[in-house]
Amino acid sequence: MSHDDYVLKLDNVTMRFGGLTAVNGLSFSIKPREIVGLIGPNGAGKTTVFNCVTQFYDTYEGTISFKVDDAITNLKDRKVTEVIDLGIARTFQNIELVPDLSILDNIMIGAHNTFKTGIVQHIFRTPKARAEEKAVREKAIEALKFMHIDHLKDQFAGGQPYGVQKKIEIARTLMSDPKLIILDEPAAGLNDSETDELETLIYRIRDEYDASVLLIEHDMGFVMEICDRVCAINFGQFLAMDTPKNIQNHPDVQEAYLGKED
Amino acid sequence: MTDSNFKEKSVALWNRFAKTVKTHPHAQFFIFGLVMVMLGYFSSVGVFPSFYLSVFAYIIIYTLVALGLNLLLGFSGLISLASSSFIGVGALGTGVFLNLGLPFELAAALAIVSAAGIGALIGLLSSKISGIYLAISTLFIAEILRQIFTSVDIFGGERLDIGTVKLLGFIELSRNSRAERFYLYAIMAIVLALMMMVVYNIIKSRSGRAFMGISRSENSAAAMGISPLKYRVMAFTVATFFAAVAGVLYALYFQDAPTRQWGLLQSLTIIAIVVVGGFKSIYGMFFGAVIIHGMSELFLKDWLGNVSSVFSGILLIVVILFYPQGIAHVWIDLKKLYYKLKTRKKKDVINDES
Amino acid sequence: MYGGLVSFSGVNTVGNFLNILFNSLQTGSTYALAALAIVLIFRTSKTTNFAQGSIGTLNAYVAALVLSSWGWSIWAVAIVSMVTAFLTGVLIDTFIIRPAAKVNKIAKQIITLGLIMIITGISPYLFGVDPYQLPRFIPQGGMEILGSSLKYNTIFIVLISLFFMGAIFWFIQKTKWGLAIRVTASNEVTSKLMGVPTKTVTMMSWATAAMLGTLAAIIVAPAGSVNPNMMFNVQVSAFFAGVFGGFQTFYGPVLAAFIIAFARNTTVFYLTDIWGDVLVYMIILVFLFFKPYGIFGKPPVKKV
Repeated sequence: MSHDDYVLKLDNVTMRFGGLTAVNGLSFSIKPREIVGLIGPNGAGKTTVFNCVTQFYDTYEGTISFKVDDAITNLKDRKVTEVIDLGIARTFQNIELVPDLSILDNIMIGAHNTFKTGIVQHIFRTPKARAEEKAVREKAIEALKFMHIDHLKDQFAGGQPYGVQKKIEIARTLMSDPKLIILDEPAAGLNDSETDELETLIYRIRDEYDASVLLIEHDMGFVMEICDRVCAINFGQFLAMDTPKNIQNHPDVQEAYLGKED
Repeated sequence: MTDSNFKEKSVALWNRFAKTVKTHPHAQFFIFGLVMVMLGYFSSVGVFPSFYLSVFAYIIIYTLVALGLNLLLGFSGLISLASSSFIGVGALGTGVFLNLGLPFELAAALAIVSAAGIGALIGLLSSKISGIYLAISTLFIAEILRQIFTSVDIFGGERLDIGTVKLLGFIELSRNSRAERFYLYAIMAIVLALMMMVVYNIIKSRSGRAFMGISRSENSAAAMGISPLKYRVMAFTVATFFAAVAGVLYALYFQDAPTRQWGLLQSLTIIAIVVVGGFKSIYGMFFGAVIIHGMSELFLKDWLGNVSSVFSGILLIVVILFYPQGIAHVWIDLKKLYYKLKTRKKKDVINDES
Repeated sequence: MYGGLVSFSGVNTVGNFLNILFNSLQTGSTYALAALAIVLIFRTSKTTNFAQGSIGTLNAYVAALVLSSWGWSIWAVAIVSMVTAFLTGVLIDTFIIRPAAKVNKIAKQIITLGLIMIITGISPYLFGVDPYQLPRFIPQGGMEILGSSLKYNTIFIVLISLFFMGAIFWFIQKTKWGLAIRVTASNEVTSKLMGVPTKTVTMMSWATAAMLGTLAAIIVAPAGSVNPNMMFNVQVSAFFAGVFGGFQTFYGPVLAAFIIAFARNTTVFYLTDIWGDVLVYMIILVFLFFKPYGIFGKPPVKKV
């Protein structure tokens, strides 16, 4: 793995909303199988960065490139719905599950893009459609087992405790065999034991799914524990990117907001 | 002794039935269709008054439209105020093409395709227009269709006479004899059962999950590769398809197609059926149709005369206030209650034994 | 559509145009009253009131009943029906809409359908099945302007409608209660938290909407008879005006109502009868595709 190898690279990305510049000339990259944390005070532009990567905002300046198996894609050439095909999956700050569907069904939505059959084949339940459905179902059960919630698979996603819902969202990202998983505040609202479990899960995801992880988090202890590198931004601008230890000691970062660690 | 024996046997029978339904879920619709045919048979031979048959026919038509609208409204979160107009497209379209000399099946197919085409266009409209604006846009379409139906000559002014239908090229069915009317009705019941299976298949597939995905959050759906536009177009197309099929059945059974019947009030009634029956429920649509249309036609008119409209209105409001999830959810709540009681009984037994 | 209100002379183009204009002002007024009622309820009560026309019809029936039973003048019964309309609105909000506050949006709209059914069913029992007549406010007389004929009744209708709506706009913009309405309209939850009496606001909205609808019905009635379907056309046009003008403002739908009335009259006169309507609707649909929130609407800000 060469030193310049990356799975995601932001190059001078700027995103403006009318008069407000949310992201300003941001550049950083993520290596394969790396866990990177994006930190910054509230309003620093972190979620905006995510939305630019996933092409929810596609009017940004600069380039965001995604590299997998030596194939480089300029993400701006792709639509929001194609990003998952490339291998980028994400979770959301507000959990976006379908409450009236079972947990299993919710996970299976994560594999939507892997299906080859269409609605007509579903209506007639062709052998191909049935085979695909069965395969995705089994894959979903595996993902649930991975997250230790397979015993809940047939329950409604709606009434589940917060920690379980977060797990469901993460399990859903695994269904598309992603190379980059973007987690938006995965530890928010979790207690200590749940946070420990999340740490272990993220390591296992990196190892067993061979993926990189980019996460936004406010829980500094968690970020410093788990991340290989941390990228700090403020007012949409790059402050520093380094190992957690060095970031903690970085004067600019300290000045911006690190404050008290728990 | 015999009492518990009977209980055991009936529980065993129910378990076997439930198992069959689990492994062959489509069997339930087959049975439903059979039940509907039987109801029609009873009307035909005099067990029920003979006018019941027309009421059952209407219930089938309403259930069918509601099934389609349910996919739109209940699953995808989109509203259409034009459902009734598309029944009209199905019925009048069939009539028009029949008058051009085409065989029934082809006429029906063309009518359905036309409806689905307009539905797809509405879906495309929805790429830009949403919420109340989209709902009223469908009202625009309904009004345009209404003007076309009542003013363009090929629709015959007041109604299109269809008369005896010829199926598969040689089976002639008119409305003249009881037996023939029963056969027409039976065809409707079979079509309904088949369409229920279609809805079931859609719901349980990736497409059904995608519909629910876009209704909950278009952004997360898009992030998972579900194109909101594609599925909105699909939802509208399927909904109008179902409405048009209902229209074809109307033409088949009543053998005429009026031009002034397809208005906003009926479209609102169909939405009411979906709401009262229960979003996302297949049987709910049937129950909704029975409650909203069946009850007033079959019972209330006898007891209350024209005040049946008042009663329907009150019933509608009461159901929504107390069961906003719809009748189907009463069933789910009953099931939950049943399991609660069962586990409590088990607990009692355990406590007794300890 | 013209109901014998204006007469046309074939050669006189200015006269024809003015006739269309005057007629549009009158029809537009009825659409505008109904549209304002709909947007008022839509924004404060978060409901699409499909029963708007029915409520107006109901109170028009009351007016007609009083007139035919006790011989009061149209002016007197109009005032009576305004009072009953006010009460109708209050009752509906208190006993049906408020209890349904927690219900989902679609279901709330269906409740108004239930209202239509109740009103339609009850009318024959309250008023009998024979049709009623309501006279015009100013039964005859008018003036000639450049070859067109402008009835005094038309002038009165337009003036009273503009006055009514103007009063409401003034109220909304300049008074404390008006502020309460505007605040509730933009965000009910926040308003409640800030102590705005949202319950009273919605009740007033329903009462006002009922009065607006009743005024519209009384204006429409003389052209035909008081019957259950008389407001259908106005109702549908009011919805179109709401969407065309945009639900974000109160004045948008009112302006759009006049535009629609004018467009329809124009196309119907200069083109053909039915296709005139179809053409106007299609043009509005195309317009909506490019401006999906109406002429005066603004898209809500997307947040992920």
